[in-house]
Amino acid sequence: MIKRLLIANRGEIALRVIRTAREMGIESVAIYSDPDRSALHTRFAELAYPLGGSTPAQSYLDVDKVLAAAEATGADAVHPGYGFLAENAGFAERVIAAGLTWVGPPPDAIRGMGDKIGSRQLMRAAGVPIVPGLAEPVADANAAVEAAKDIGYPICLKASAGGGGKGIRIVREESEMASAFTQASAEAQAAFGDGRMYPERYLDNPRHVEIQVMFDAHGNGVHFGERECSIQRRHQKLVEECPSPVITPELREQMGEAALQAGRAVGYQGAGTVEFLYSKGEFFFLEMNTRLQVEHPVTEMVTGVDLVREQLRVASGEPLGYDQSAISMHGWSIEVRINAEDPVAGFLPSTGTISNLRLPGGPWVRIDSALYRGMEVGLNYDPMLAKLIVWGPDRASAIARMTRALQELNVGGVSTGAPAALRVLSEAKFRSGDYDTHFLESLDMSEDVLGLSGVAAAVATVHRWQLARRSALAPTAGRREAWTNRARIQHTRYPLPSSSPGAEPGGNQ
Amino acid sequence: MKYFVTVNGKDHEVELTERLGQLEISVDGASMDLSVADVDGLGQFAVVVDRRAYGVSIEGDTHDGAVCIAGSRYAFEIEDERERAANAAARARGGKGGVVKAVMPGVVVTLLVEVGAEVEEDQPMLILEAMKMQNEIKSPIAGTVEAIFVEAGQAVEGGAKLVSIKAPAEEA
Repeated sequence: MIKRLLIANRGEIALRVIRTAREMGIESVAIYSDPDRSALHTRFAELAYPLGGSTPAQSYLDVDKVLAAAEATGADAVHPGYGFLAENAGFAERVIAAGLTWVGPPPDAIRGMGDKIGSRQLMRAAGVPIVPGLAEPVADANAAVEAAKDIGYPICLKASAGGGGKGIRIVREESEMASAFTQASAEAQAAFGDGRMYPERYLDNPRHVEIQVMFDAHGNGVHFGERECSIQRRHQKLVEECPSPVITPELREQMGEAALQAGRAVGYQGAGTVEFLYSKGEFFFLEMNTRLQVEHPVTEMVTGVDLVREQLRVASGEPLGYDQSAISMHGWSIEVRINAEDPVAGFLPSTGTISNLRLPGGPWVRIDSALYRGMEVGLNYDPMLAKLIVWGPDRASAIARMTRALQELNVGGVSTGAPAALRVLSEAKFRSGDYDTHFLESLDMSEDVLGLSGVAAAVATVHRWQLARRSALAPTAGRREAWTNRARIQHTRYPLPSSSPGAEPGGNQ
Repeated sequence: MKYFVTVNGKDHEVELTERLGQLEISVDGASMDLSVADVDGLGQFAVVVDRRAYGVSIEGDTHDGAVCIAGSRYAFEIEDERERAANAAARARGGKGGVVKAVMPGVVVTLLVEVGAEVEEDQPMLILEAMKMQNEIKSPIAGTVEAIFVEAGQAVEGGAKLVSIKAPAEEA
């Protein structure tokens, strides 16, 4: 079994892995960049190793530095989390070559599934259903226009090395192709160093349904049912649930079998997620994420299985020890991602310092969070700050519980997408389960759902008045003339006190 | 004292009157029984409106910030009468058109226009990359590009000036 685990990641996922490792008696090693010196993962791990640098490329993406950290700290295994090096086959090979246990799939499986074009060819050969489109990247925008004539509009242009919603454009007519191709290709080049694009049919009213799978090193594999991730904008997920309101037990069995088939075709080991597009009773293979997913907690809540624990067990060579009949789903779970973004301003990224923080609690509420007061939210890292997860015996109670938890949550200093999630949960279409991947973008986020705009105006004004009065009554005030006081009361700006990092170590929870 | 408060784009008039040490509050002409108590000096407040209790947080400064109530975020701007007059005068001096600013920090990837170019309303002027997403920054009006404050490859702060657009002269 693993004794000391290096987590090649940051943020909430690093913390998530550290927690399970500690419960299993495994020591954890955090690595951190300069801005993350006081981050929660750095403070919660048994050992912390500085990588230096501030951008991801100088720190968490620097393979040599990460391996040096493993050697220096005596780690015997590496968990990559998600993002960063999680789907980098070269990194996996280096970890294995250094004699360490790699908590992830074999490098060849990462490579096979990592190239979206290659993976579609593999899946077609393995008999897994795929969306109509070209299996080859196209040379330029003109070639894409030609290819589109056969596939039919609307077309979805995708980066062949893509992921996370980057390098994707929807093209509804021929005239939009040239500019969409250029932008998406440039985005892909910047994000992945590979600007190759391929076109495929874009399904209208599609739902994004994915299957969680787990394989051991002895040829055993199980699936843990589906997750529904259709509440997204710009292909970034916001609300996820397990199970999906549209998947019947029969469909679940078919999709689960297809997902296992997909995994077996590449000799998969460890935890993985097979993403499908679901449209009107049909499902098509989209891609396989060869890592733990952001939204894995909803599966954990419904199946009662700690997926990180299973990852660490099978990476150590242990057999799964159970088969499909042992997996059962109980109740309903919903997750909301708390991103630093402004829903009123079209979900533009928001930056700042976390000035105050109130996290929800109560029965069946789980929060996987990297937030603490004084934390700087910049542009260097992913805007996802925390995940709020609830469980309920059925979908309606899970929705009510999530609504209640979101109302308790308060993150000050940056805007978050939480109000948008509240809005989604209150919509009749979401409550009835009748939604697709375009649902979130169809909502007007500037609407005042609570109708408390007047109260907010009064609170802000009274607050300003109180601060002005307090300042006017301060000891130094007596030395000023009355007219000076009056002028100051009216025209001084009083910033709220901002917290100093580390001032109150326990204050983050 | 009268205040003009804009909350998520909606205008309110709030009037505060101090009488015998008590604060009387009216919002859009209707009186409101409101108490606001600071909880921790860090931005959390206990608010009671007509016996309804709310856990509220306030951030930003006293002129421009946000109030969060039950998970909803209300961005506000407050002007008193004098500030309102001063700001209105400043706006009048600026005329039509004006400066397009970065709404978020990012990196300018490509400039799509040059100084002197005629632009249509909603025409993309440059591409700003933030959080690894490419965003087209569009012209708010039809007019002429008067000045460009950034170069391709430049990192900009949120609120930084990008491009200045001059509206065409009013036709007589």
